[in-house]
Amino acid sequence: MKPKFPWFSYLVVIVGAIMMVFPFLDMFFTSFKGADEINQIEYKLLPKEFKLDNFVEAFNQMNMGLLFKNSIIVSVSVTVLVLLTSTLAGYALTKLRFKGRNAIFRFTLSTMMFPPFLFLIPNYYIMVHFPLVNGNNIFGEGGNGGLAASILALILPFAVSGFGIFLMRQFILNIPDALIEAARIDGASEFRIFWQIVMPMTMPAQATLAIFTFISQWNEFIWSLLIYTVNNDLATLPVGIQMLQSYLDPTLTQALVSAALTISVVPVFIVFLLLQKYYIQGMMLSGIKE
Amino acid sequence: MKKNRHLFKKVSFNRVGFGLTNRSRQTVMGYLFLFPMLLFYAVFFMIPILFSLFLSFSEWSGYDLSSIKWVGFRNYRQLLSPDSEFVFPILTNTLLFAFGSVILSLVFSVVIAYMITRLRFEGFWRTLYFLPMVTTVVAVGNVWKFMYDPNGGLINALLNALGLPTIAFLDDPNTALGSIIVVSAWASIGGSVLILTAGLKSIPETYYEAAVLEGAGSAQLFWHITLPLLRPSVLFVLITGFISGLQSFTLILVMTGDGGPANATNVGGLEMYNQAFQYGAWGIACAMAFILFVIVFIATVLQLRIFRRGGVESY
Repeated sequence: MKPKFPWFSYLVVIVGAIMMVFPFLDMFFTSFKGADEINQIEYKLLPKEFKLDNFVEAFNQMNMGLLFKNSIIVSVSVTVLVLLTSTLAGYALTKLRFKGRNAIFRFTLSTMMFPPFLFLIPNYYIMVHFPLVNGNNIFGEGGNGGLAASILALILPFAVSGFGIFLMRQFILNIPDALIEAARIDGASEFRIFWQIVMPMTMPAQATLAIFTFISQWNEFIWSLLIYTVNNDLATLPVGIQMLQSYLDPTLTQALVSAALTISVVPVFIVFLLLQKYYIQGMMLSGIKE
Repeated sequence: MKKNRHLFKKVSFNRVGFGLTNRSRQTVMGYLFLFPMLLFYAVFFMIPILFSLFLSFSEWSGYDLSSIKWVGFRNYRQLLSPDSEFVFPILTNTLLFAFGSVILSLVFSVVIAYMITRLRFEGFWRTLYFLPMVTTVVAVGNVWKFMYDPNGGLINALLNALGLPTIAFLDDPNTALGSIIVVSAWASIGGSVLILTAGLKSIPETYYEAAVLEGAGSAQLFWHITLPLLRPSVLFVLITGFISGLQSFTLILVMTGDGGPANATNVGGLEMYNQAFQYGAWGIACAMAFILFVIVFIATVLQLRIFRRGGVESY
């Protein structure tokens, strides 16, 4: 129902949209400003000229190459692992019959009620004192940061997702049992059924889970910050940009930070804009859960 | 059916060759497929939860396991005593932050979600509002910090242009928490708009048509049809937003560092983080985590209760 032209709604929505987008525009334009422009009292949105100096400087001063590499390795690995573990579990919880199946599923659901901050402290300890890694003895003592000194520390604690398992389980429920059983009767092993039937048939759900996981991992901050305190070479983009601010040329800090943030935010915006449909499906599902 | 199953068993028995029946083969495969997940939950869920529950009854600086000292309920008693800083201002800040940001975000998102459904290019508008949801908290926090800056920040420039005095938003204890609540609400509008839109779309068009025939204006439609029928979605956004607000502290960490000025912006999660990783008080920090967890848990149970009883049809 769209009766007469809703000019008032347009007005409100447009003003609101400007308020939503403006901070990003401010960040974008600030990344071109020189020291004189940042430090003047008078506010101007647009820079005098569009020079790329700040981007080059940000790359050099914050070692953005390393930050990028870490962020990509972590986000891609976590996404692949979550897809694999969620689909494996989703398949087992729907198409294989065994004792304890429902109990395990209920347990998985209940894990989602435990907020992430609860695990920050103990998981940090477990990572640093992981037994028999990096010089640690069997009790996890004596070594050099244990698992927390390796990039695995940024990946492993995110390798399984309760939400992912729930999503894949719901999706695999819709694959007809007859299809799976026919394959079994034809002698296909469970692994083959998994790779050649379940994986291809769950592509839409995989896409949703992939983009959802990738973006939230790319933006993850607090755990990466903790691991950074153990090994500074493991800084991801958000952590590096936050922590290296104090080392920058103070007259240019705001411009360099804005440039670095622009570089780190733009890839996500592009991914999101291209694959929005899948992301939003995931977001809606994560709200429903049961 | 019975006959089929018989056949089935025999066939798979022959093909697998482990000498396993189909049933036990499925058990083996099931646990094999679940192995990565079960291992993960053992290492990163069960052990940490039990470990930190144990630590919450102890005094420990986080180094040597043998230096853990059991202190019973002392941490909890200390944190929940009447003159405890953890209760006031930290927990009250936490509640204020969670409640403030969810209410602020909700008011705007109800209006915006409703208005967007009346426009063309609905998806485009929703995308604009959603952008902060896919942005790292480091970007959101820093960009707003620059905008709040008393020297040359956008917001003070606007205030000055209107003839108003400069406000040191994040440095003044009276405005600091409110300033961060605004940012948090701003960042979450997009998500709420999305959920509310789903609710709006489920309201039958005929209700509106009937009301229009009776001569209702668009404001009346909104107050008397949209809002009442949107109640389940509103409630959902309210509770889930509240739950995530209770846990949230990274925005505050980015914007004020330690929850300052004084304790003006300190919240439970941030205090827990600082106690453990700045002051090395792991026992106290774990006790804080569990107190906060109980609060979050109560809200979660409430949410599940309400939405099991009905009202989620709209999703």
